[in-house]
Amino acid sequence: MYRYDEFDREIVQSRVKQFRSQVERRLDGRITETQFKPLRLMNGLYLQLHAYMLRVAVPYGSLRAKQMRQLAMIADKYDRGYGHITTRQNIQFNWPELTDVPDILNDLAEVEMHGFQTSGNCIRNVTSDPYAGATAEEIEDPRPTAELLRQWSTMHPEFAYLPRKFKIAVVASKTDRAVIRAHDIGIEITKNDKGDVGYHIIVGGGLGRTPIIGQTLREFLPREELLPYLEATLRVYNRYGRRDNKYKARIKILVTETGIDAFKQMVDAEYETLEPLDIAVSAEEVARITSYFSGPDFEELPTHDDSYKAKLLSDKDFKNWAENNLAEHKMPGYAIVNISLKPIELAPGDITSDQMRAVADLSDKYSFSEIRTTHQQNVLLPHVKKSDLYEVYQALKDVKLHADNIGLISDIICCPGMDFCALATARSIPVSQAIAQRFADPERQRAIGEMQIKISGCINACGHHHVGHIGILGLEKAGVEFYQVKLGGDASENAAVGKVTGPGFSQEELVDGIERLVDYYLEVRKDGERFIDSYNRLGMAPFKEALYAA
Amino acid sequence: MSTLKHKGKGPQSLTGNELREGYSVWLTPELEWSRDFGEALKTEDETLIAAMQAKGEESEEANFVVGVYFIDIEPDTGLPVRYREKFRVKGPSYDTADELGLKREK
Repeated sequence: MYRYDEFDREIVQSRVKQFRSQVERRLDGRITETQFKPLRLMNGLYLQLHAYMLRVAVPYGSLRAKQMRQLAMIADKYDRGYGHITTRQNIQFNWPELTDVPDILNDLAEVEMHGFQTSGNCIRNVTSDPYAGATAEEIEDPRPTAELLRQWSTMHPEFAYLPRKFKIAVVASKTDRAVIRAHDIGIEITKNDKGDVGYHIIVGGGLGRTPIIGQTLREFLPREELLPYLEATLRVYNRYGRRDNKYKARIKILVTETGIDAFKQMVDAEYETLEPLDIAVSAEEVARITSYFSGPDFEELPTHDDSYKAKLLSDKDFKNWAENNLAEHKMPGYAIVNISLKPIELAPGDITSDQMRAVADLSDKYSFSEIRTTHQQNVLLPHVKKSDLYEVYQALKDVKLHADNIGLISDIICCPGMDFCALATARSIPVSQAIAQRFADPERQRAIGEMQIKISGCINACGHHHVGHIGILGLEKAGVEFYQVKLGGDASENAAVGKVTGPGFSQEELVDGIERLVDYYLEVRKDGERFIDSYNRLGMAPFKEALYAA
Repeated sequence: MSTLKHKGKGPQSLTGNELREGYSVWLTPELEWSRDFGEALKTEDETLIAAMQAKGEESEEANFVVGVYFIDIEPDTGLPVRYREKFRVKGPSYDTADELGLKREK
């Protein structure tokens, strides 16, 4: 894990002091709300529908146990005992009071955390593969690259007031667990024919009101060119991105309107003007950052563990949980433990302070004190010995974190919606709960198999509905909520934007319609194919017919 | 303060958020702020509306509330017209803290 140096520490602590002074001046009227708003947003503090909301950055979704415990303390002391994991792998608190926020930021700084880059038209918190450093699929650990980008982008003076927010995600596997093709810049660490490691750069993806899948800007960018090339790309965006219209200000619009070839020429021309060595990071610095992610001291273990196997045979619930929630680890005898924050009865992504402490304790005891947050609004323990899995499962059960639905129909991405968000047009949490309730039977969920339902409470698409196998958008007309459905979206390496089926539904009609859709899929699927595969094979028409059959 | 200006139709209430705590508040007939919409002043009387506007401006200048604006009220139900405002009145239909009985320690 990356450790702060004296510069990181000084930056974060001086920001706390600054913000304390800004709050004092706001409260006694020396600065106005108009002056204060951008300052609070730079620290992740929003004023939402009912109260303030504080969003805390979790760079590339990596947390240490100590940090998770501090988040639990903050949830208890200053909020209402829980936090919410976001689709940018951050955590947010729904009920902080302004007068407490300087103290909260101080408590966060004690564990090397803050709210930078969680709001505003800057380069936002860089996201990554939650399996980083644990999966055998990766070419290398993507976190050193993500950390390099964090350091480059934090308070970058040229990119503090971009035309609009800017999101970057990094993966190092062909399997995309960070939705890189729906980012302003997506980076896939890859190898060329010679075996050199470099970067596949994808640009101009995004969700929101205009969903677009990103296009390749550079098939293979040599490693040392990463920062200069991104600098050139951001400069082109900063200069030509549309500042006249907020809704057309993202880089995806610039790339689409310019055309990818012309956009690339502009970036290359800008790149020619740079003195790359002024920006490029030395191999020594890359090695220094990389050394922090060298990985824990894994034990040499056999691939199979007899005690684990015996528990699989003796405890059916454990077997179901293991089948759904574990992922293969690069080291023999270890597993990645996905912890679902989607129990049927609670809001997707919410985690109580007691649960945070339990996860922290488990990570200390069984996973080298490492925890990850995922864009699917879950958390995970990246390195658990198979021989410890049963104990971990039992401990998770004690705090009701043992839902065995990872990747299944009730593992729904869901934004806070109208229940909390000032921008929302409809509620999303109750819809998610109603769908999860309808498909609560674990056997039925397993029979359906992989299914990604994603729900947004407005067109800003924080719930990623455009890339859901089934995407749901909440809208409102004349005081009545209704829900539009999209089908065929895909958040994976085969990224696709779903298509709108037709007129919207009430919540009740929607759940009935989805049930008919799922039943139809179970009738027509071949050889155990996933819902998305059946959809791609058969097309929209029959699924639409099932959805609207009532 | 353009959002504050009364442009609506029918009965009006004045709302905003507390600067310090952030909670939604509504102006009462006593021209005080309440977190309870049930205590809100709802009126079509232009003289009262002018007094509400003056109080809103004064409260913002006094750094007590932020983002003050008028909302339209349905004459028959006494509830806000806009769906979003109905939600501000009721609070979240779901909150994990309510569900699990969690509370702020301080």
